[in-house]
Amino acid sequence: MESFIKFTNQSQGRDRIFRTTQYACAFIKYLLRNKAARQELVKKLQSLESNMSSGRKLFRLGNTVNAVDAAKRTLRLSDPVLRFCLTVANINRALYFVCDNVLWARNVGLIRDIDKERWSFNASRCYYFSLVMSLTRDVYVITQIMVLRARQRRHQQKVDQNQNDHRDVASVLVPKLDAFLFLLYESLKSNPPVVLDTVKNLCDLFIPLDRLGIYQTNAGVVGFCGLVSSLLGILSVVRPTLKITP
Amino acid sequence: MESWVRFNAQSQAKERLFRATQYACTLLGYTLLKGGANSDLLTKIKQLEAHVSLVRKLMRLGNSAEALEAAKRAVHLSDCVLRLCITVAHLNRAMYFACDNVLWAGKTGLLPKLDQNKWSQRSFRYYLFALILNLTRDAYEVKLLMDRESRSVGAKGAWASPSTPLPENGELLQSAGSHASSSSISAISAGALYARLHRELHLVAAVLRNNPPLLLDLVKNLCDLFIPLDRLGLYQTGPGFVGACGLTSSILSLLTLVHPWLKLKP
Repeated sequence: MESFIKFTNQSQGRDRIFRTTQYACAFIKYLLRNKAARQELVKKLQSLESNMSSGRKLFRLGNTVNAVDAAKRTLRLSDPVLRFCLTVANINRALYFVCDNVLWARNVGLIRDIDKERWSFNASRCYYFSLVMSLTRDVYVITQIMVLRARQRRHQQKVDQNQNDHRDVASVLVPKLDAFLFLLYESLKSNPPVVLDTVKNLCDLFIPLDRLGIYQTNAGVVGFCGLVSSLLGILSVVRPTLKITP
Repeated sequence: MESWVRFNAQSQAKERLFRATQYACTLLGYTLLKGGANSDLLTKIKQLEAHVSLVRKLMRLGNSAEALEAAKRAVHLSDCVLRLCITVAHLNRAMYFACDNVLWAGKTGLLPKLDQNKWSQRSFRYYLFALILNLTRDAYEVKLLMDRESRSVGAKGAWASPSTPLPENGELLQSAGSHASSSSISAISAGALYARLHRELHLVAAVLRNNPPLLLDLVKNLCDLFIPLDRLGLYQTGPGFVGACGLTSSILSLLTLVHPWLKLKP
């Protein structure tokens, strides 16, 4: 119980739980959409999902300041690629939160005459750009790790051993591709935070891709991807060692 | 900005901010109603208040566990009165949160056949018990500090002037002995009572002035008390007064979050 309380005391921890519930509801709703006997449950799930969504919007009212502060911090990073990617990602997140706050005011009824669709579209676009920047950073970090690894002599020994062990696979697959995949696998195995962040961002990417109409899937895929990324997010809050830095 | 980021990270701090907003809306709605504002603005404020109230219920979903943990910790206190008051207060809070969670499920449509009125009354009853126990604890702390203060004042007085003057009552009784009339005796005893009351109040004021955490906690609990008293119909004040009390207690509790030294311990 101690750890549960410590987790929920953090604002981010509670938000992740609610996000998980929200996308779990969306996913289960999609699975039950054609079952006539379960329509009562579907209505309840819909109500729960919209409650979670509107609650989370209220929670996020102060997050623009957080995102701007994060952007100021990432501006001081030494690596120029990381500096660019993370700062732009944080700025886009700040813009996303601004749009999100306006949408909250519209939902509650404080502002009446705004175009909800346009603001929703803008919010999704900002979110999409921030995810693209985060993924660019992930790819850059993975490339750096791979380059570093390839230079290590110990890795070369492992490659040779791998070729000897799986001679038949190595001879069928183009040797260079096999070496590359092995290097990728070894790099990822030694860096769980990067893997977690990459998978989380990839899953999250399907949400704005669907909303913006760039790659339309369906509510089920969006719900499932949202659920997976929320669970991974909870994991990174519970185990801070799994959180990517910076 | 640093302090806002740290503040924002605590979900309890956010919840207090939303509580302040909710009661500010109550107060504002009442003021505007009295002032004759247009119904559109009143509807907006009412909608905002209902929305913030529901989201606060959502945020409180895990608080029963927290209150039970606090009760478990309070069982180990050394002072038996404090131990009793604080533990039972936390248990009542845990029950209040449990009723509140059921109310949330009812309001969001998960339990459509729930008697919301009954559960609302139940939750306010537990909240009232918790507040009464908190006030008892505050009164006990004040009494302890008053005893300590009066003992130290007495000791200082003995140290400062060895030839202490006779106590007030003794003087008055001596003078009463010379004028043997019943009316003068009753007047003198009333005067003595008034003097004693004045001295006690002075002592209470001194104790509270020297202990800002205790003063803050006492004022907060007193303000909070009016909310369940109104909702349960025991002492109906009205939405304006309830809103003002709720807003004051939320601001005071935000103060204790921003300045942790102002929080009463244990």
